[in-house]
Amino acid sequence: MSRLTDDYGALLNKLQKSAAEHRQPLNVTFELTARCNQACRMCYISRPVTDSIARNRELTAAEWVDIAGQAKKEGMLFLLLTGGEIFVRPDFFEIYRPLTGMGLLISLYTSATLVTDSVADQLAEMPPHRVEVSLYGANADTYETVTGTPGSFARCLKGIEALVKRNINVVLKATITRQNAGELYDMQKIAKRWDLQFSASWLLTGRTDGMPSGIDACRLSPSQALAIEEADPDLVEEWRNSEMSSGKENFYCQAGKTSCLIDPAGAMNVCSDLPAPGIMVPDVGFREAWKELQRFVEAAPGLSAECLDCDAIQYCAICPAWSYLENGRMAGSVEYLCKIAHERKKRYESEQ
Amino acid sequence: MIRKESFLLQTVGGEHLLVPLGSQVMDTNGIITLNETAAFIWDLLEEERTIEELTTAVAGRFEVSRGQAESDITLFAEKLDQNGLLQ
Repeated sequence: MSRLTDDYGALLNKLQKSAAEHRQPLNVTFELTARCNQACRMCYISRPVTDSIARNRELTAAEWVDIAGQAKKEGMLFLLLTGGEIFVRPDFFEIYRPLTGMGLLISLYTSATLVTDSVADQLAEMPPHRVEVSLYGANADTYETVTGTPGSFARCLKGIEALVKRNINVVLKATITRQNAGELYDMQKIAKRWDLQFSASWLLTGRTDGMPSGIDACRLSPSQALAIEEADPDLVEEWRNSEMSSGKENFYCQAGKTSCLIDPAGAMNVCSDLPAPGIMVPDVGFREAWKELQRFVEAAPGLSAECLDCDAIQYCAICPAWSYLENGRMAGSVEYLCKIAHERKKRYESEQ
Repeated sequence: MIRKESFLLQTVGGEHLLVPLGSQVMDTNGIITLNETAAFIWDLLEEERTIEELTTAVAGRFEVSRGQAESDITLFAEKLDQNGLLQ
């Protein structure tokens, strides 16, 4: 009659599939703030902690809790709390505590640099499903070159230690940039020190607010990126078996169809990379905003003719969000992705 | 027997899921899935119930003999207990 799910992946796939059929908001992201205590050049969202305009836009704790209740009624099961840096909000636990009683699987994204013993103690009382900690280097020099914040490496390690000591489920995620790409192995060793799951991502997007981005100084070149990707045989196999080329579906990752993001001011968007359509949840309610999002997603264009004709499309991560961020419209190729896709095709097809 | 209050039954796309609440997250490695009958029993276990009461309820609700229902419920109750789902 029952089973403790050990094959989490299979269950998630099943839930995802069912949610896609019913257009249910299974996964919701609350971007609690755009403010952050670090100043990473490649960040797509970060504003200084002291930015009063950004702070004044933020929904109150009560508003977030209310939206969570509404979203749950519509079928939300997975809730991600992210920023900016979530712990810059002094009222974080006024938001978090009530959410833990709603029967949601809550994940937190943080740099852990503001995770003190007191924060970790409060989390341990009502632990999230997982805490994903971003890692920007394997030593203070590199880490702080990326974050632009002296002392942040030591604070990050201390924060991780505080969480691990309290048996909170922590995953380390390396954000790979040109500045730290040579330390991937050493970052993995940091994860091994605590026996933590580890992942790395290097696909960096520009800012979503139109402000100048330092992305060009941080993004890996296609050959640098694929040298890292090739070290993961599962990922290579996934690309080889990708069915992207046959799909004209616009949001094939199911963003906007089974998931959405609500920004610090309460605007519902497709995902963190696509700051549209911006339906104000506090004004119309979650249910109406979700319905409107469905109409937006339905009306969004599929792949452009140029992309569909491309012989490397199977190896490409192009989506409306990437097109929007790089071209200002939701279709059309993105030069950086084109180069990566062609590089993948060259490498992965020749290896078979 | 009576269920623990530290789980919430969620139904998502026809799947019945028991999601741990609060500190129970630490002791439960993931989500627990229930079939239709198990979810029905879980609802009943909001109050103290005997195997006999549950058997009557299940046999009345589903097309199953009392004998079969009782044997399934006994097995399910053991599982609930083993996984720390009962008070």
